[in-house]
Amino acid sequence: MKKLDKQTLTGIRDQFGSYAWDDSEISELVDPKLGIITGFQELLDQLEVLRKIDLEATPPAGDIFTK
Amino acid sequence: MSTPLAFAPITEINLRLRNGDLSAIELINLYTDRIERFGEISKAFISLDTKSALSKAEIIDESFKDDLPLNGIPYACKDLFDVKGLPTTAGSQVLQDNVAQQDAAAIKCMNQAGAICIGKNNLHEFAYGATGENTLYGTVPNPYDQSRLAGGSSSGSAAAVGFGLCAAALGTDTGGSVRAPAALCGLVGFKPTFGRISTQGVIPYSWTLDHVGTLTRSAADAGILFEALVSQARRIEPGSLNYLTIGIPESFFFEGCDREILDSLEALMNFLRLAGANLKPISMPSMEYTRTVSLTVQMPEALSYHNRFLEQRGHLYSQDFRAGLALGQCLLAEQYIRAKRFIETYRNTINSIFAEVDVILTPATPIIAPKIGAVEVTVDGSSEPAGNAITRYTSFFNMTGHPAITLPCGLHSEGLPIGAQLVGKHFGDEQLIDIAQQIESDYDFELRPPDLE
Repeated sequence: MKKLDKQTLTGIRDQFGSYAWDDSEISELVDPKLGIITGFQELLDQLEVLRKIDLEATPPAGDIFTK
Repeated sequence: MSTPLAFAPITEINLRLRNGDLSAIELINLYTDRIERFGEISKAFISLDTKSALSKAEIIDESFKDDLPLNGIPYACKDLFDVKGLPTTAGSQVLQDNVAQQDAAAIKCMNQAGAICIGKNNLHEFAYGATGENTLYGTVPNPYDQSRLAGGSSSGSAAAVGFGLCAAALGTDTGGSVRAPAALCGLVGFKPTFGRISTQGVIPYSWTLDHVGTLTRSAADAGILFEALVSQARRIEPGSLNYLTIGIPESFFFEGCDREILDSLEALMNFLRLAGANLKPISMPSMEYTRTVSLTVQMPEALSYHNRFLEQRGHLYSQDFRAGLALGQCLLAEQYIRAKRFIETYRNTINSIFAEVDVILTPATPIIAPKIGAVEVTVDGSSEPAGNAITRYTSFFNMTGHPAITLPCGLHSEGLPIGAQLVGKHFGDEQLIDIAQQIESDYDFELRPPDLE
């Protein structure tokens, strides 16, 4: 998986019907400088590991019911 | 020496109210006087409802009803709960003009039980964070050391009870936001089985993970509130520790933890063995990716709710919450669904563990309350963000939805409380509180109220 770049997130913002996040906020997600939020790339890397795990037919978690 | 009334548990206050030694008005006056003295220092409240509280107390005193479990008991709630006629700000500039038209379901239950809401508590903005830092209403200090954090996100709820400004408080717990601040402030924090207490009328953070919970001075008090908040709750009584099988996680939950916290847990485990409990090592699922899974669910859900405000009021959010919401925008739908499928696997694994044990015991937090302003904390030579450390042992059980309670079990040499966490089976809320209550009654440990004078 390639490293995240700003153009990808700008594309999501401008072409996916997203809220108009500031350029500086998008930059911060790609290359954190202010320490406001860190680790998005790391999160994506971990999600890529999880993607490769076969969950068979496990459904998404829903409400919890009594037996 | 007896406990001062401001720090007395509800069980004791109830007796005094029923005996006629104390009136509901006297009780409200006691707490409002203390709020005048300590409200500013504690930063526990965003709004107060003293006038209405006094009129409710007057009515209660005119014809006291013994059968109401919380009759005349003053409580506070995190400022995410709607209380009719009061603003629900969520600790944010975004909702400064948001006045509730109705009571939240939990508030209705408290009212029906006779409790009196005296005000609404400070919190981490929109419950996004475990440190309880809030630029608008101030960072909430710990009652045992005011240079340290109360913890969050239900920071004001913990401080309100911890500083002796009310008898109990309601909070919300999405990753430990009731249990962790309760533990850091020497209180009992309880979150029930997912969905058991209604979240209707509470501003959401993450629908998959949000739980309404309680902060009290004792497990017995947590039981009284639980009975009031859940219509079909069975009566809670101290439960026997003899023959109880207690699961002790072999990994993660006792790792990277302050040495004195581990010592306190060891002492508690020795007590439980002597009381006849069987302590059984258990293998928990790998925790390596649990934070990733949790975040992948939280942030898109938070964004989905906050979309309603972003266009008009986006500039009023704090910078860090906006950044979290922006992250939520950039995750894929399949990643969100996959994370929820992992949550299902976690639930199934923990349910299979509960086929062999009655409860699971862990420390409540790996650290004592951090210093205000600390960005990172270091334990055992490893550093991590303070907020992550505060909820490291609690957040997993928001995903699995199992009921969990934290209770004080020691005092650190730095003068701060140490907490233990007990986790129970789905819908085993009453049994869990029974057990906590029995430990509270038999274990030779009593935390003194903080010295605030």
